[in-house]
Amino acid sequence: MKTPRDTHGAYVRKVQEGTQSFAHDLIAEVERLQVLVAALGAEKESLSGRVHEIEELAKANEALRALAASLETEMNRLQEQALAQRAENERHQKEHDRLQAQLDSIRAESQRFSARYAEIEQQHSNLANLYVASYRLHGTLDRKEVVDAIQEIIANLIGSEEACLFEVHAASGALELAACFGVTTESARAMPAACAPIAQAVKTGEIFVTDAQHRQGSALEDRLTACVPLKLDGRVTGAIAIFQLLPQKSAIEDVDRELFDLLATHAATALYCTSLHARRGALASR
Amino acid sequence: MSRKKILVVDDSKTALFMVTTILKKEPYELITAHDGQQAVEVAAAQQPDLILMDVIMPRMTGFEACRELKRREDTKAIPVILVTTRGEEANVETGFESGCNDYVTKPINAQELLAKVRDLVAQT
Repeated sequence: MKTPRDTHGAYVRKVQEGTQSFAHDLIAEVERLQVLVAALGAEKESLSGRVHEIEELAKANEALRALAASLETEMNRLQEQALAQRAENERHQKEHDRLQAQLDSIRAESQRFSARYAEIEQQHSNLANLYVASYRLHGTLDRKEVVDAIQEIIANLIGSEEACLFEVHAASGALELAACFGVTTESARAMPAACAPIAQAVKTGEIFVTDAQHRQGSALEDRLTACVPLKLDGRVTGAIAIFQLLPQKSAIEDVDRELFDLLATHAATALYCTSLHARRGALASR
Repeated sequence: MSRKKILVVDDSKTALFMVTTILKKEPYELITAHDGQQAVEVAAAQQPDLILMDVIMPRMTGFEACRELKRREDTKAIPVILVTTRGEEANVETGFESGCNDYVTKPINAQELLAKVRDLVAQT
């Protein structure tokens, strides 16, 4: 049989066990709470860091916004500047085009002047040829000098080292060899009969010039380049036959034709003057 | 500035007159000689800035005169243009062998002659 003391003891033990269990639970709860507090503390720390980061980001964002605004302003300014520059470029391009057109026009004018200058130089050269020929033909009353002048005109101004000078015989009307150079006397004497263009030029009084360039051939008549009938008062008094041209002279040119015209009259006059002078000299010496 | 002196040498009166007529309009002083021998003497005495000389001449040809001019100490620096009737390569080669600086062929082309004269005179 249980005594009250036993009952009380059991009760106390039970209470003690309950208390111990409670205390134990309490300690466990405290520990759990401590862990929780620590975790919360860590989380708080972390959140605090995040907040700081966000604040930093916000600041950076603000700075970027300001920068973007500034860049936009700069961009607008640059756009305006680009527009102004484009307008300026267009103005410059127009000015450049205007100056280019002016330059082209000046260049064209310069080329025209150059061409004109060359033309005048050529004309001057041609006139110089005619002047020299005329001066030489009329610079003497000596027949030999006139013949030499004819030879030199043909060699130096026309460009041939083969020529014959014929004169019409007063009585017979036949062509007689007066002088020749670069060809044999024998072949030169045969020319009036052997070379039809010479006879034709003397008959018609028209200058003969071959169309063929650079006549060549073993026979002299094949090399005839031109025949200039010498005329005095419309009457043919002789002829100059010009054969092969110098190798560097490709063809008869306009100035040569003018020289032929000059020779046709001036050589005839000069030769006539020398014969008059010789006759006068002979009369004076009688 | 003194005018440049050019010695023109040719036995042909027509050729001499032609060349002097072409050069007369330019600012040059022109002196003349009638053969190679005289050309050498005149060149030594007058010291021209340029010699324009025909090839075929009596007494001394243009080639011989050119060689003599280039041999002599007192004339070797004077540039020489030979005027040749024959423009064939061999003839031109002989000209350059004789020491000429340039050549022109007959019949003389005034523009060509003036261009060569101006060019050589400018170098003296």
